[in-house]
Amino acid sequence: MRGWLLAAALPLLAACGGADAVAVGSKDFVEQDVLAELISQELEERGVPVERRFHFGGSKLTHEALVNDELDLYVEYTGTALVAVLGRDPIHDADSVYTVVEEAYLDRWDLVLAPPLGFENTFAVIVRAGDADSLGLEAIGDLAAVDEEWTAGFGPEFMSREDGYPGLKEAYGIAFGEVKQMDLGLLYRALDQGEIDVAVGNSTDGQIAAFDLRVLNDNRNFFPPYEAVPVVRRETIERHPRVWDVLQRLEGVVTAEQMRELNRTVVVEDADIPRAVRRWRARHLRPGKTAPIAPEDTT
Amino acid sequence: MPPGSDADTAAVEFDRASFAVHRGPTIVRELDFDVASGETVVLVGRSGAGKTTALKLVNGLLAPTAGAVRVDGVETTAWDPVELRRGIGWVIQEVGLFPHMTVRRNVGLVPELLGWDEERIAERVDDLLDRVGMPAGRFGARLPHQLSGGQRQRVGVARALGADPSLLLLDEPFGALDALTRDRLQREFGELMEELGKAALFVTHDLREALALGDRVGVLVDGELAVIAEADVLLESDHPEARALAATLQPPGELGGG
Amino acid sequence: MRELARFLVENRVEVGGLLGEHLYLSGVSVGVAAAIGVPLGIAATRSRALERPIIGTANVFQTIPSLALFGFLIPIPLIGGVGARTAIVALVVYSLLPIVRNTHAGIRGIDPALVEAGRGMGMTDLQLLLKVQLPLAASVILAGIRVAAVVSVGIATIAAAIGAGGLGVYIFRGIAVVNDTLILAGALPAALLALAADGLLGWMGRRLTAPGAPGAERGEVKPA
Repeated sequence: MRGWLLAAALPLLAACGGADAVAVGSKDFVEQDVLAELISQELEERGVPVERRFHFGGSKLTHEALVNDELDLYVEYTGTALVAVLGRDPIHDADSVYTVVEEAYLDRWDLVLAPPLGFENTFAVIVRAGDADSLGLEAIGDLAAVDEEWTAGFGPEFMSREDGYPGLKEAYGIAFGEVKQMDLGLLYRALDQGEIDVAVGNSTDGQIAAFDLRVLNDNRNFFPPYEAVPVVRRETIERHPRVWDVLQRLEGVVTAEQMRELNRTVVVEDADIPRAVRRWRARHLRPGKTAPIAPEDTT
Repeated sequence: MPPGSDADTAAVEFDRASFAVHRGPTIVRELDFDVASGETVVLVGRSGAGKTTALKLVNGLLAPTAGAVRVDGVETTAWDPVELRRGIGWVIQEVGLFPHMTVRRNVGLVPELLGWDEERIAERVDDLLDRVGMPAGRFGARLPHQLSGGQRQRVGVARALGADPSLLLLDEPFGALDALTRDRLQREFGELMEELGKAALFVTHDLREALALGDRVGVLVDGELAVIAEADVLLESDHPEARALAATLQPPGELGGG
Repeated sequence: MRELARFLVENRVEVGGLLGEHLYLSGVSVGVAAAIGVPLGIAATRSRALERPIIGTANVFQTIPSLALFGFLIPIPLIGGVGARTAIVALVVYSLLPIVRNTHAGIRGIDPALVEAGRGMGMTDLQLLLKVQLPLAASVILAGIRVAAVVSVGIATIAAAIGAGGLGVYIFRGIAVVNDTLILAGALPAALLALAADGLLGWMGRRLTAPGAPGAERGEVKPA
């Protein structure tokens, strides 16, 4: 009986918690949901009430939600912030990108950049390992030999961004014979099935390891750095100083390897994100000590 | 009206035929009578007496649950149903002219089903339409909805005669018409039947019509054939049903042909 | 609005390509659905035993949310995967109900006296179907195909999410980057395409219906 009452009351409680809770958002792909869940669990563990508003939408939509106080926090990538949100030309030095973005965000929207989480998630140009070997494809520039006959697959954002297909075409002088647009999550399956020959996904996507695929090297350094950084409203920090503590302690906590592995676990093995994140935190973070620890150190 | 030449095999033979609905009432019970070739037999009875059922037993739309019905000496259940029906002219009260076909096409339908060639069909259609008083030149290209009730029924009769069947089955063909049209069509039909010499089994609830058109008239009461006899014999008969029916006729009687 | 016009003109090649893809997706689906649905509708009129499962299944298909069906089909071998083929399978599923139901209703709605007359004069079932039932049910059946076409054009916009192309590509892109012009560049041509399909099939329906049959161009003339 009590169980039912509690379950019935939860929506009410959630709504009540609304005013005071920290609204954590994520963009519409798995890694974002994972990171947002990670931050949410860390916050909750330290007594900060959280309202999860995951899988919000594309970069621009999520950013605007943050600006409009529909969200308090989400994880952005510095390169995306620079080019897609601020509309500037790409820069290639990671520190410079961070500084430019940090200043502009605070200046224009009163948004604070937290320290980087420790990894970069850049656009990855991916091909089937078999093709890479037989055609000698190692770098993006090598695609010039096959681009005209090949079909490329992109997510809906990549077509429209300056740091997306238009810029890539110019920087590398390549143009694909056919381009198919689809939901990001479907790109790897499409690549594996031969519906497309090259996909532009994210470098930390879990499926890269799951299917036999290879990431091509960005030899002309077209893509700017995309360091993962939590972005939070300044007034949220004023309301909840503990939020800033938590974000500080998460600096450098996730390596690219770990992110990829965590993504892979969620996509390929266990789709229950909260559970996967809880396990990961138990293995890699210790209460009060958030620096990464080697797996052997845990029980 | 003497029966036709090959009077040995009756056109239709009801041999103690009954029809009962599965696990339900018996609609007709032990019908036993013949329709000789060239003869017109009219079954008369109130609605629900089983008249339509009796007809459907002849063209195989229904199969008897007891006894047998024979057409040209062969049991209806032994006939190929499609062949059986193509050899019988079928006229129903609603007429059932196909609304999307012209008068010509409606009338020529059974020949069409039999695969006659176009010329032969055209000739036949013209002839039939003339006979029923609907000359093809004027009416051939019309659609059914452009005809009056009486006109439609004439076309219906012409259609039934399409492939020159030796047997006609008619289910209250004139029932839906106004009295004037009905009288006229009855008369014309009677003349046509005399001319063509075909066997016909006709059902109606109208005793006068029965007496006028039938060589013999059978009275159906609750699914049973109470009596069957020539018109004048019926009127003189002592049979209670016959007497009851006779009493319903107007005294300045339009008694049917002698 | 002016911005939309400019975008459509500037990108007319791409717009044309997406329009062509969209037309392909919905056109093929409706065609296949008609080829399957009309016979199914006819079968449903013949047998009480088949009637309920056929109509019932078509009904159930209709209730599945379209995005869910697209997603659900992806992992299925042979008909699934990413791309146009999967989209067409989903669209066929959605186009079936109006066609099956209308075929069934159109044939059932024929005056039983006509069926009796036809059988009684010695038509085989096939002859009855081809000479009487289908011509008389034609306008209702075509109305069903018309509905299926409009539904199909609309739902085909979702196909872009699974790599099948079509005008939905603009819509999804526009949503991702919050660009109304892009969204409209996809939505408006799709709406116009639906209207055009509706109009064209309506016209065809009227032309193909035999005079005298229900739904024909000429009005009924009731005799005195």
